[in-house]
Amino acid sequence: MLFNKTDEIKSVKKYDWGTYWNYQVTPKDGGNPKGVPNDPANIDCQMILEWVAEGNTIEDAD
Amino acid sequence: MTRASDTAKLLGAGGSILGSLDVGGGQIGGRRNIVINGAMGVAQRSASVTGLGDGDEGYVTLDRFRHTAAASAGRFTSAQTAISDLPGFLNCLHLDCTTADTSIAATELLVLEHRIEGQDLQQLKKGTSSAESITVSFYMKTNAEFVFMCVLNDFDNNRVNPQKFTTTTGWTRHSITFVGDTTGTINDDNALSLSVSIYLHAGSNFTGGTYAANTWQSRASSDNMIAPGIGSFYSSTDNDVKLTGLQMEVGSVATPFEHRSFGEELALCERYYEEGDMSVRSSVNTVARLAVQYRVEKRATPTFLVYYDSNKTTDGVVNRGNSELTGCAESATANFGNWEKNTGGNTDSADFAWYWTASAEL
Repeated sequence: MLFNKTDEIKSVKKYDWGTYWNYQVTPKDGGNPKGVPNDPANIDCQMILEWVAEGNTIEDAD
Repeated sequence: MTRASDTAKLLGAGGSILGSLDVGGGQIGGRRNIVINGAMGVAQRSASVTGLGDGDEGYVTLDRFRHTAAASAGRFTSAQTAISDLPGFLNCLHLDCTTADTSIAATELLVLEHRIEGQDLQQLKKGTSSAESITVSFYMKTNAEFVFMCVLNDFDNNRVNPQKFTTTTGWTRHSITFVGDTTGTINDDNALSLSVSIYLHAGSNFTGGTYAANTWQSRASSDNMIAPGIGSFYSSTDNDVKLTGLQMEVGSVATPFEHRSFGEELALCERYYEEGDMSVRSSVNTVARLAVQYRVEKRATPTFLVYYDSNKTTDGVVNRGNSELTGCAESATANFGNWEKNTGGNTDSADFAWYWTASAEL
């Protein structure tokens, strides 16, 4: 698990892999963006969905 | 709690099996133990991690054993520790309190947890009129006598069943049978459905309610019935807890611990977490995208991270010609992990190497 709480997440951006996309999550602690699958069964993805439910927005892919 | 009488019922002269093919309502054959890595042999991530306790630590040392915590002033080390004083077992999960916390806030919590997928629990027949009893057994040794709580936690239906037990300074096999629950079926899927949890420390949010032993109850709006009356692992830096031989099985009898080979346990663990290394020579300049196939298909799409080396110091960095290459993107499927560097030059014929982790934990 990458994050203990949603307030450790700075931003979330989609990343286009050509045939699918996933999330690239930037932590507030200054660490590198981390790849998280868009699979609700993944506990890190569950944290992103919780972060979105709190009113935050996922950025579109470049 | 003694198992001698149960053994006598099952075994005849020379250890031959007598009677029906049924042990206290459970099965007698292999795969009795629903718990993975119960003998504490597999620790892919690390053999020891210090300074834990400032948040929800998750999985840090032994595979499949989650440290579920709410921040406390207390700190501890989690380690896979070799043991020589319990015949048949060579390793344990060892928690050592390194900073005490005797001013316990309401929200504080420290739980050792083993989480299980719903599709692996259908034999419990939970939520039906035929619901089976469940027996949890384990060996525990502590520096002093403690009262801790063993809890079955049904995440699909928000129901819990707590039972206290008392530790000793020697290895003691604790055997705790939970009544079958005729309320709340378990989902037949790959998601978290049930955990076996040992509550080692808890604030009043978890201790303020009324203890009802071996009773399935709704968590409702409060968790305060989960751990009333337990001791505190953080009460002194003298404290340590050693756990091994965790088994959960159908029925009302704790049968002898089901030992499995290291290879079997490792493969079972790798459904949830795996790590390894990889190297390759790339002949492209502007875009590098490389994939690794896991040894075992994951429970769900894992979080895939790449690192410079096996120290796993900083993720998102790989080794390109013995220099750090930053700015990598990572993605995964249930079978493959990928990393990509699609900005900046990657240098023709560059040698890439990296270490990777794939986590699909519950």
